[in-house]
Amino acid sequence: MKNLSVPAKLEYLDEVTDFVFGVLGDCEMKTELQIRLAVEEVFVNISSYAYTPGEGEAEIECGYLTDPRRFCIRFRDSGKPFDPTAKEDADTSEDALLSRVGGLGILLVKKNMDSVRYAYENGKNTLSIEKRI
Amino acid sequence: MNMNLIKRGNEGELQLIGYIDASNAAEVEKIIIDVVAQFDTLILDMEKLEYVSSAGLRAFKHAYMDMRQKRGTLMAKNASKMVMEVLEVTGFTRLFKFI
Repeated sequence: MKNLSVPAKLEYLDEVTDFVFGVLGDCEMKTELQIRLAVEEVFVNISSYAYTPGEGEAEIECGYLTDPRRFCIRFRDSGKPFDPTAKEDADTSEDALLSRVGGLGILLVKKNMDSVRYAYENGKNTLSIEKRI
Repeated sequence: MNMNLIKRGNEGELQLIGYIDASNAAEVEKIIIDVVAQFDTLILDMEKLEYVSSAGLRAFKHAYMDMRQKRGTLMAKNASKMVMEVLEVTGFTRLFKFI
């Protein structure tokens, strides 16, 4: 597994994506787009909410796991404890769409990855997402 | 991200090219909203839109609400598989008339 630590700020999104793609290597375009989407949604959530109104770091660890072969990305932050998987899937009716502020990001992560798990470990929010490759 | 606008009287067609992500969504939103204000009907041509995230969807939502307020029509066409899946999963297919 490889590691990257960056300030949890939106302007580091490209650095995070480039880091993950560097470890991911060549894969199907569809898989690449799905992983890009999941990484963006998770990192944007951390940058927007984890440390507000303060600042902090986001750690990203990723690499391949075997049996079955899958790509794992783990995000850690030391911000407010928050389990994004705990809420029910966002309501996608038209009324809900127009009134709601968030919730679609985690829905997209769940739909595009094979596994999404949250834990609060050693004072850190830890979100592990996996995609079979 | 690039955009091309074709004007046909009261109808506009905005071609979206590239990626809409959290880094450029606010800028894209501003432009789409400005275009919505100019037409009764706006078609978003998504053939060359390769990627959209939830940040980009907020731009579409804003466009839809502005268009609805002035009783105009927001249409979409040619969405790629990736973009269509994002629209379907989030329920955003409801906001557009697909042509």
